[in-house]
Amino acid sequence: MTRMPRPSPHPSRHAAIVPPYLLARIAASDDPRFDVAADAARRSLVRDWSMLEWRITGEPPTFVIHDHAARDERPAAAPGTGPRPDRRISDAENDDVLPGRLVRREGQPDTGDRAVDEAYDGLGDTFEMFARVFARDSIDDAGMPLEATVHFGDHYDNAFWDGERMVFGDGDGEIFRSFTSSLSVVGHELAHGVTERTARLRYQGQSGALNEHVSDVFGALVEQYSMGQDAESATWLIGEGVFTDAVEGRAIRSMIEPGTAYDDDVLGRDPQPAHFDRYIDTDEDNGGVHLNSGIPNRAFALAAVELGGFAWEHAGRVWYDVLTSGRLRPTSDFRAFASEIVRAANDRYGATSREARAIAAGWAEVGLGVPPAP
Amino acid sequence: MDVFVSRSGGLAGLRLVWHVHVDEQPDRDDWYLLIRQVPWEQVPPVPPEPDRYVYRIRCEPHEATLAERQLTGPWRRLVDRVQETSEPERARPANGSDRGLKRPATPPGRDA
Repeated sequence: MTRMPRPSPHPSRHAAIVPPYLLARIAASDDPRFDVAADAARRSLVRDWSMLEWRITGEPPTFVIHDHAARDERPAAAPGTGPRPDRRISDAENDDVLPGRLVRREGQPDTGDRAVDEAYDGLGDTFEMFARVFARDSIDDAGMPLEATVHFGDHYDNAFWDGERMVFGDGDGEIFRSFTSSLSVVGHELAHGVTERTARLRYQGQSGALNEHVSDVFGALVEQYSMGQDAESATWLIGEGVFTDAVEGRAIRSMIEPGTAYDDDVLGRDPQPAHFDRYIDTDEDNGGVHLNSGIPNRAFALAAVELGGFAWEHAGRVWYDVLTSGRLRPTSDFRAFASEIVRAANDRYGATSREARAIAAGWAEVGLGVPPAP
Repeated sequence: MDVFVSRSGGLAGLRLVWHVHVDEQPDRDDWYLLIRQVPWEQVPPVPPEPDRYVYRIRCEPHEATLAERQLTGPWRRLVDRVQETSEPERARPANGSDRGLKRPATPPGRDA
């Protein structure tokens, strides 16, 4: 895994507000007070670094290498330099009793058990994105330990958040592999905890589909952040790698093209709708929360791709603003959510900004256009 | 008598339906006894847990919807038995008021 993105085929089209030399200084800063800013600056700089400059210098900017090294040396880093995760991974040993036996605590080395180590690393990546991009200290923004249980159940085909911990099954081996194998799944589960501590979207019907949507957004962003991947090169898939090779499918969902993630003889076709006209009204699945999330998912992905660059730096920030604004109600529906997102984009970037326009266009594309404020 | 178990939700949102013709079972008396032990009218509402399964269990004239962690005691025994006795069918999402348990399903599940 590397932080250094490959140069984008579509370099940023907008002029940077902060001049590159200043970004470079912020990026190179070791001052812990500027942890978030330095990180953001590094990413901005890498994003705006044109392919020409890459070729002229013959090597990536030094701060990228420095950053990479710092990451490798993380256990030795000085304490108190910003939020640190407190991870606790337990093993249910294929029973369905929680929490199971504690097998890896923060700072302990790899165990050699793939699911344990994938969960540990995935929670670390998710924690890091929330801390460095959104300045959030864990699920509750107060350093809450990140607890996970792996090897839950017998060939259990699922992963979930139970209000206290993330729980991962090994899969049946025929259709599903271990659910820890996808970073977007680990991020998705942790984000359920964040939603529970912020907007508290009720897990039923449209508010439930929004709860799912928020988890998919941050699950996808964690994967992109950990790979330094821009919106154009991102797959926008959730759960890539959790299907076995026997399944005709790429992932369990596609945010950019809902309804296309799989088409398999046994599983059938991905049933997610991509437009509000095709909202699925059902009693199953808490009112279709895993189906209708495709509609807002597409709005997010379209906006992020239109804006280009790193999605966590623009669309991701607006979504996080809304999640933590206190303005959503537990029963907020799609239209109320879209309206809050557009308001937050206008507040952060200005109503005529390309960010606000791209985000509004994303909602309009899925049939949830927000009328301009009077 | 027929017992239907529909499992929806889960991270992947895939729906499976199991169906058992009780009268065709060699141990049908045991099935009748178990179905009588199930507290059909005593399913308290519980807050949903994100990405956990939701079970709808139907055996005329009874029908109940349970969260995964409510599957204990006779509920657990009934669902386990249904799942051991029949192969699941994968079904499209049930729309609107359609109860969804009699809809024609996509081809049967992969053999275990």
